[in-house]
Amino acid sequence: MNGDGGSPHPAARELLGQFRRGEIGRRDFLRAASWLGVSGASAAAAAGLSACAPVHAPVSQDTVRFVCAVQQMTDPALTTWIEASNLFRNCLEFLVEVDADNICRPFLAQSWRPSEDLKTWDFELRPGVRWSNGDAFTTEDVAFNINRWIAPKSKSVNRTAFAALTGIEVTGPLTFRLHLNRPVCSLPEQLYAFTCPMLHRDFERMGADWPKTPVGTGPFTLTDFQVGRQASFRRREGYWGPPPTLRQIDYIDLGTDISTHVAALAAGQVDILYRVSVAELDLVRRLPQARLIRQQAAQTVVMRMQHDQKPFDDLRVRRAVQLAADNAQMLRLAYRGYGVVGENHHVAPFQPDYAALPAFKRDVTQARHLLAEAGHANGIELKLTLGNTQGRFEQDTAQVLQQNLAEAGIRLKLNVLPASEFWSVWDKTPFGLTYWSHRPLGVMALDLAYRSTSSWNESHFNDPQFDAGLDVAMGLIDPVVRSKAMAGLEQILQDQAVMVQPYWAEKFTAVSPRVRNYRAHPSDYFRMDKVWLADA
Amino acid sequence: MRETLADLARRLGGLALTMLVVSFLVFLTLEFNVEGVAVKVLGQFSTPDQRQAWLSENGYLDPFAIRYLRWLLDFVRGHWGTSTYYHEDILKLILPRLGASAILAGGGLLVMIPMSLILGVAAGAKEGSALDRSISLVSIITTSIPEFATAVFLSAVFVIGLGWLPGVSTMAAGLSLRELILPVSVLALASTGYIARMTRASMAEVMAQPYIRMARLKGASPARIILAHALRNALITPVTVIMLQIPWILSGVIVVEVFFAYRGFGTLLYQASLNADVYLVEACAMVSVLTVVVSQTIADLIYVRLDPRLSPGGGRHS
Repeated sequence: MNGDGGSPHPAARELLGQFRRGEIGRRDFLRAASWLGVSGASAAAAAGLSACAPVHAPVSQDTVRFVCAVQQMTDPALTTWIEASNLFRNCLEFLVEVDADNICRPFLAQSWRPSEDLKTWDFELRPGVRWSNGDAFTTEDVAFNINRWIAPKSKSVNRTAFAALTGIEVTGPLTFRLHLNRPVCSLPEQLYAFTCPMLHRDFERMGADWPKTPVGTGPFTLTDFQVGRQASFRRREGYWGPPPTLRQIDYIDLGTDISTHVAALAAGQVDILYRVSVAELDLVRRLPQARLIRQQAAQTVVMRMQHDQKPFDDLRVRRAVQLAADNAQMLRLAYRGYGVVGENHHVAPFQPDYAALPAFKRDVTQARHLLAEAGHANGIELKLTLGNTQGRFEQDTAQVLQQNLAEAGIRLKLNVLPASEFWSVWDKTPFGLTYWSHRPLGVMALDLAYRSTSSWNESHFNDPQFDAGLDVAMGLIDPVVRSKAMAGLEQILQDQAVMVQPYWAEKFTAVSPRVRNYRAHPSDYFRMDKVWLADA
Repeated sequence: MRETLADLARRLGGLALTMLVVSFLVFLTLEFNVEGVAVKVLGQFSTPDQRQAWLSENGYLDPFAIRYLRWLLDFVRGHWGTSTYYHEDILKLILPRLGASAILAGGGLLVMIPMSLILGVAAGAKEGSALDRSISLVSIITTSIPEFATAVFLSAVFVIGLGWLPGVSTMAAGLSLRELILPVSVLALASTGYIARMTRASMAEVMAQPYIRMARLKGASPARIILAHALRNALITPVTVIMLQIPWILSGVIVVEVFFAYRGFGTLLYQASLNADVYLVEACAMVSVLTVVVSQTIADLIYVRLDPRLSPGGGRHS
């Protein structure tokens, strides 16, 4: 039942048993099996599920026009913009894919298998994959990329994300082994992060400027690239997979104002918008030239308090802020209810490793009481820094919080910075509102944001018990057991009042009604090779 | 003649001084905090040691005055650096954008000047008439609505409602007049009313002058009175106002360009500030200042030409 004919991870058999007994759902089973290196198709077959038949569209001469910021992508592994990755994703491929349903699938790696302690991972590459310059894709390429990410001088965010990765060992032309210093159950998921495209082993020798020498293994090839204006991709002959349905994709940079994008869609000048915000929803619904697409995602805003800064070094103050906040109201007023209420622990109910805690209740009286106890009987002045990095809704959320806290005698001042200014202080400000994008697993976000040693630990949360709990959770494959471990972690974050995390925000976008088979993705990692246009 | 040359020299000196002061302020605002520059150039996820290495590699640990002088010298020599966002030579990036904005602003002026002068003269020729009142009313309404609101309104009517015009003006397939209609209209609408009101006031004032009454008493036709007697004097004020409008149009251009995704100087400046592209913001600020200062100098010169009392000779020739 596993992809490479060897013996599967012992947990795989146990998973199948759990699935048959109905202890875990279909998605949980497929997901967990895929981490263990069991391919989606064989896992589905073993469990007696029918794999979804892929939709086949004819290879066409269509061109799709996609509104997307066209940003510099000289070194795809160094990019800090997901938009840029949506361009190079047409040419560059990844070892693993996490699809729109949050399920991990084989991509350039056809299978993988962890050791029992989840510290050693064996990967096997898909044979017969060729680069657009004719070279074969081998473990030499993989080793080049991974060594670049984790090199001490690396400027890639992968150095942070793969802090546990100690090295790669090439075991054959198509097989390699990754060594970790602690168990990481989410390793395959992390390999689909937008900063992890597989570059050609000679990338640096070719000048280290990807748009100038756009060699890739993907279905399209880059034909035009002008930062801030447009970029074009053309279907490539000789792709290893099924040929893409579109002949050409044009990415058009229309700036940051989404109402401009909607006007372009209404006038038929473009076919797919990158994203629409909650502010444009009504307009999009009314336009006959637009079809609204909604997508649930574990993206959120976190109003976190730094534990080593006054007055947040006092748990009672943090707790008072958390108790006075009305998460449901913030969702209703600032995001018009399109989402799920958060529980102040940064794990979403629809993430597979979520564990339900007792409902968190707002209690203004208790908040006042705690403040008085902490020596702020006459209330307290606090300042929240934010940057509207994703849109106006961040400020709207903060304003609702301002009203909520006023009820408990907390006078909240909002310090609204331009987005670019905000990014230079996001991890320095004592009380700040930060947007966190979707992660397939709750444990991934906790590991990045709240582990004491993580360089993205913006709340300066430092709890050895929590770190130890994370290590345990990261080493558990079994969803039932892991969610128990997660319950403990969630409880610590909630009890320590690290943050007010009001809601999980849905994603929206709009496309022309002609566009077929386009799927939103919770991480905005769009794949264009199966999209086509219906006749007008 | 010597006086004119001395005056020109004084003006150029003033221009240079203004540029110098602004350049210092721009540099102070954007590069005083070197840590901030490093974050902006290397990105928010860079680590402190990466930033420190970059700072020392690029001479950022030198004293502020030295850094400023070095930057100023590079700027004067045309070495404007490379944009961190666009990854392109800044001079090469800015020139075509300036051209595109000139087309847009020029189109705006081309519509605005004849329209406002005709409306203003028509209104001022007969003060208090029904024509005057209706033109004044429309002028006040269009002037008081800012560009961002006009843009949304026109776009809602002509793009989303009627579907007659394109919603964005990217000029992806070369210069397109159809794509110019909306941005030019927005720019023209905002300023036409203002200039028309100025022309009207100036015209009304001239029409009340004794020499106009004299012409009327002599039996000259209304058309002859307006064209031969009143118009020349009535145009002094509006021409000055039009020159003064140019820097104002520059700011309007930013709003309009961003709204219609027009790839001009305005969107460039906007993108540069959104993405904290320090060097590009500096260059754009300097170019804007240059545009404003030069257009103001030209306006002064024209004004002096139109009104001899203001010439350095103090009206000796009149």
